[in-house]
Amino acid sequence: MARLSEKAKINARKESLSGGRDGRPKGHNRQKGERSMVLELRNIEKSFGEKKVLKGISFQAEGGKAFGLLGRNGAGKTTTIRILMNVFPANGGEITIDGAPIDYRTMPIGYLPEERGLYPKKIIFEQLCYFAELKGLERKAAAEAVDFWLRRLGMAEYRNKRLDTLSKGNQQKIQLITALAHNPRIVILDEPFSGLDPVNAMLLKEVVKEEIARGKIVLFSSHQMSYIEEFCDHIAILKDGRVALTGDLRAIKRGYLRDRLVVRTTESEAVQKAFGENCTLLENGDLLLRMASDRDKAAVMKHLAETYDIDEMKVFEPSLNDIFVEYAGKAGENEK
Amino acid sequence: MKQFRIILNFELKHYIKNKAFVGITLALVCVIALVIFFPRLKATFGNEKGEDLPEELPLMLVRAEKEEDGALVRELFAAAFPGYSIELTGEEDTAIRERITSGQAECAVVLTGPTSYRYYVNNLSMYDTNTALADEVLQNLYRLNAMVAEGLSPEEAEAILSAPIEHEITNLGKDQMQNFFYTYIMIFALYMVILLYGQMVASNVASEKNSRAMELLITSARPVGMMFGKVIASCLAGLVQLLAIFGSAFVFFNLNRSYWEGNAIISSIFDVPLNLLGYMLLFFVLGFFIYAFLYGAIGSTVSKVEDVNVAVMPLTFLFIAAFLVVMVSMGSGSVDNTAMVVCSYIPFTSPMAMFTRIAMSTVPVYEILLSVAVLIGSVVGIGVLSAKIYRVGVLLYGNAPSLGAIFKAIRKA
Repeated sequence: MARLSEKAKINARKESLSGGRDGRPKGHNRQKGERSMVLELRNIEKSFGEKKVLKGISFQAEGGKAFGLLGRNGAGKTTTIRILMNVFPANGGEITIDGAPIDYRTMPIGYLPEERGLYPKKIIFEQLCYFAELKGLERKAAAEAVDFWLRRLGMAEYRNKRLDTLSKGNQQKIQLITALAHNPRIVILDEPFSGLDPVNAMLLKEVVKEEIARGKIVLFSSHQMSYIEEFCDHIAILKDGRVALTGDLRAIKRGYLRDRLVVRTTESEAVQKAFGENCTLLENGDLLLRMASDRDKAAVMKHLAETYDIDEMKVFEPSLNDIFVEYAGKAGENEK
Repeated sequence: MKQFRIILNFELKHYIKNKAFVGITLALVCVIALVIFFPRLKATFGNEKGEDLPEELPLMLVRAEKEEDGALVRELFAAAFPGYSIELTGEEDTAIRERITSGQAECAVVLTGPTSYRYYVNNLSMYDTNTALADEVLQNLYRLNAMVAEGLSPEEAEAILSAPIEHEITNLGKDQMQNFFYTYIMIFALYMVILLYGQMVASNVASEKNSRAMELLITSARPVGMMFGKVIASCLAGLVQLLAIFGSAFVFFNLNRSYWEGNAIISSIFDVPLNLLGYMLLFFVLGFFIYAFLYGAIGSTVSKVEDVNVAVMPLTFLFIAAFLVVMVSMGSGSVDNTAMVVCSYIPFTSPMAMFTRIAMSTVPVYEILLSVAVLIGSVVGIGVLSAKIYRVGVLLYGNAPSLGAIFKAIRKA
């Protein structure tokens, strides 16, 4: 009996590590054409009373790619998500899938809200099935899907326990199942990594990558820029109910002025002395050199390579954090 | 519709599997069983010989004005007060008062003239009718003495005074006395269930909001389906509880019917006409919906479970007011008074008012139909309105919004 139980544990672990695709419930495997799906929000407007919250939000998110929806508190992210989820209608604009207006009966959406919470006193399996059924699955299919995801996230042993007996991180994994169990084609994850330890964060990353690879549109909303940079191909930064910046993240970064160089050298002091105010020592010991124009970079790089002992030299690319601060506004500015 | 069924199923399980729900229902069934089986148990185990022990009656002291009238006075008082053991006394007032305060006697009647007496009692009960009876005894004694003085023999005078009167009642409507007890119980059950389950609906919604499960629910189901699912589930749970309690009481009574034959009140409770049970069900369900929808809507506007009680207070007061109007009218015996007739058409009061009038009076069919039609229309209207409040309310966090703010949000949402 003990051996059997051990074997079951090993199988569950193997399945977990392998991505669990074989164990997926029927109909949950990747479908043809999913990758080409395009979600588009066009000029979405929303007012609550006199207050105009969204002033024409437009962006496109593509299947098989992750999309980062960014913005400071009060920028309009949650309202945009709620309109996208059909919680309330927009006052203007349109949401389309592949050019046709979205039909919520045929377009399941999974949602992990920032404000986590399920029924603390209820059995985990029962409440997960309840939410999966509400999202359209039949009872049997819901049970199969829930069991699959419990195994996939290493939570099978808690199946028949009450939610409030779990740690915060594990409760968050249970919450994630409510977003994924009904096999949605669009997954909205609001701050998915908050409160997770590094091991669970890694597991969640694996799962999210699998969902992206299965052709789904994964929409991230997060203030943790490192995760957005890791996952998202496209972003939209909202500010005061408008899209301040949207597009391909790499293209956005490339489009930045390339007038700074990052230099790693053994002659740090000499370089600093030579470049004066235009040279800054970074925390990791590298030097950041500001040039008069990006057209100077070839000449400056040549001069550095010929004059000093240079280990590494590259054009400085701004981080998403830098871009966010620039477009979403600095602290204290327009804080709502 | 499918979502509604799923929500109904989930919410119903929440009640049926709740330990408090099961425990309270079972406890009530046990209490009812104990009460109804009591006479049987008493007959079986109380006295092995099966004979009733003679009951000791409380003592009433009577002092006649003249000593020679003592026997007649004692006889008249004994006939008028069968619940007392009558002792003729010649003691002084002080001694009589002492015997009462020491608990030896319960009360005393001291005759001070042909038409006057002093009544001594330790604690005057709300329901003490002894003075009224004693007035009657003295009046008879006075008439008897007067007749004897006029030349009639005491026997003749007594025959005249106690001439038997026969009467026959032909009731063309309802017998209020017979219907009073089961109507009272039914109204009380209606009141308790609506109040308890209505508040449960409000707490349930508020706790979903408090635990933030609402964030998922509003993105998974339509608010109308959620509201109707919750309310109908709690209504069914209430009905299940009522059925378990009254059903078991009915079964227990029928098992012990012979032991209760002498008790008119208990027997009348279980002789409820079937059509009245039908009306009870109809008014219970409609009344429940009206209040539970509103309780649910109010529950959606608060962010914390502990704020629910304060938020639902106005609605609870309205319901208590409706209950009081009905109870006072029932107590006064005039269930067709103007207040009750008006209340029969107001959806917040009609479930109790119209039901009471049907049970204890004769109400024309068109009045019943009109009341039910108004009630059904109100249920639909309040249901839809509550779902709208719910949809707006569940998204509002922080301090409970004012009624005006909610309606503004509904209009502009």
